[in-house]
Amino acid sequence: MTYRTISITNLNRLFEYIIESKDLFAPKEREDQPGFYRFDRILKPDEITLSYGTTTIPPKAFFFPPEETLFTFSLSDEGAKLNPELEEAPFVLAGVHPCDLAAIEALDLALGQPPADHRWLFNRRRAVIIGVDCTPDEYCFCGSVNTLNSRNPADLFLTPVSGGYLVEIPTARGLELLSSVETFEAGPEHLEEAETRRKEKTAQLTAAFNRTSADIAGVLESGGFGDIWKELASRCYSCGSCNLVCPTCFCFHTDDRFELNLTSGHRFRSWDSCQFLEFALVTGGHNFRGLRRNRVRHRWRCKFLHLYKEFGRVFCTGCGRCSRACTADINMADVINRLVHESENHSETRPGKEG
Amino acid sequence: MNKQIQESDFPNPEGHWELYWLPHQAMVRRTRRLASRIKLLKLEMSTKAAFSYFPGQFIQLSVFGYGEAPISICSSPENSNVFELCIRDAGNLTHAAHDLEPGDRAGVRGPFGHGFPMNQLKGKNILVIAGGIGIAPLRSLIQTTMANPGDYGGISVFYGAKKPADLLFIDELENLNAEDRLNLSTIVDEPDRQWPGRTGVVTDPLHEFKIGDPENTAAVIAGPPVMYRFVLMKLLEKEIPEDQIYFTLERRFECGMGKCGHCRLDDVYVCRDGPVFSYSDLRDRREFNEIKQDED
Repeated sequence: MTYRTISITNLNRLFEYIIESKDLFAPKEREDQPGFYRFDRILKPDEITLSYGTTTIPPKAFFFPPEETLFTFSLSDEGAKLNPELEEAPFVLAGVHPCDLAAIEALDLALGQPPADHRWLFNRRRAVIIGVDCTPDEYCFCGSVNTLNSRNPADLFLTPVSGGYLVEIPTARGLELLSSVETFEAGPEHLEEAETRRKEKTAQLTAAFNRTSADIAGVLESGGFGDIWKELASRCYSCGSCNLVCPTCFCFHTDDRFELNLTSGHRFRSWDSCQFLEFALVTGGHNFRGLRRNRVRHRWRCKFLHLYKEFGRVFCTGCGRCSRACTADINMADVINRLVHESENHSETRPGKEG
Repeated sequence: MNKQIQESDFPNPEGHWELYWLPHQAMVRRTRRLASRIKLLKLEMSTKAAFSYFPGQFIQLSVFGYGEAPISICSSPENSNVFELCIRDAGNLTHAAHDLEPGDRAGVRGPFGHGFPMNQLKGKNILVIAGGIGIAPLRSLIQTTMANPGDYGGISVFYGAKKPADLLFIDELENLNAEDRLNLSTIVDEPDRQWPGRTGVVTDPLHEFKIGDPENTAAVIAGPPVMYRFVLMKLLEKEIPEDQIYFTLERRFECGMGKCGHCRLDDVYVCRDGPVFSYSDLRDRREFNEIKQDED
């Protein structure tokens, strides 16, 4: 790993250089909601805020949009003519926090697993990713899921130090991009400052799991949490906010839409939520997760048990978005700690099968 | 375990990445009404690319503008470019599919999933247990065993439906029965005056059936979820080994490739890892057991 330093002026020059030839997306304060940020198209470097909290919508949206056209069709007597729709222009995504980098890495595994989702991989290839270190708030629990200092798949990673940023350069694409502006070799004082900053960041984390993320799988597998799921289901509105803001959720729904002429249209896919009543409903009326408590339970088991078994990592990055977005104040870290507490304290009396 | 995505994993823009989502085109060759809301469609693939499948696999049928729906292939894979789908008019897409006429075109993605374990079934007596339209994927299996009679032991078909008119493919099954090529038991829940046969549920004839050698017997089951629990109890009672009881599971399949998440059953994607599972694979999966208990 090579380390360089870059001044604020030169970093802005780098952003200007990017904007000249490519689309640049970075965190920008929302005009309609001051204090809230979103990844947006940047026209001038001073629109970017690199020291931001957490965006509501995770950056996965740039590789797996909330809604995307899979192909367009036009109908005639000879059949349907299909045209795949795919954006090819390269872009730069800047200002991605470690937890969101980890989420992209997790989705590389889930969507890249054969048969690979080519749309995800294709969009991933278009992008150069610039990460930036963050300042956690009371919802963040990245320290519990090993994403506190995630770097992959960033091409460049920035840590604020006096006079500018320390730049980590994990990839050749990052090095190539960075070579367009002046940078300096990082001295030991810069590395030390960055290390001090990381320690401060760790100390700032207040939310945490009481067990390691690897242990949570075992806790969930043991079952017997019927009362907890019932209580959560009594508060949950099945609104799906948790799924829609989650950086690692990847369930989707597909459907067709006709143009008004009824001879052409498109097939699209859009983000879906396992909390919706219709999610596991089949033709004929059977609903495989018709009970809200089973849908709530599925969310935790999917992220911390099923996907953990399949990919060796939990599909939670500690970003805290679901806890912030929940309309019923259900908090991810709190629920995990309740499950852990329940499994430790009532292991003899709990019924093994239910929940 | 945590494999990083390599440059070589990315799709080549010149490559065939689009096949993931683009349906192939097929032409409707024949349509036949089987019951009041059920039609049989015979399709022929229009593409030159080889299309082959196994009994128990399903395809995603597109009627452009209406979307896609997963449909089991219900014909024998012997002539795979031409295949049949048995479709109940029950939703948006299936309603549009009922309007298709010979000469019309539809889209086909797939086939998806693993079918019935035909190799493991070889040499065994097979109990084929169907409920209602569940006969569709099993018809593909029955036709395959009929085409290769030396490969399998005796075939016994237990077929239950709500009403006599809901018994599909009954002529061809009765012909095979009359020719002694299989042993057919039909039963209906709500008989009409013309119904000459038995009244009850599919576990009744199964209960009476004498199984000489359970170790050498396999069962394949397709039907509504509520049927599974009772059939399973009966089969275990008759000492059929757990790994020789096969279910084909119905779920909401949207992508067919283990991505969209709708068909998840605990840690498996039913579309990708099934839809056929042995009971020994399902026994310890919580979400399967809950259906067995018919909790909902």
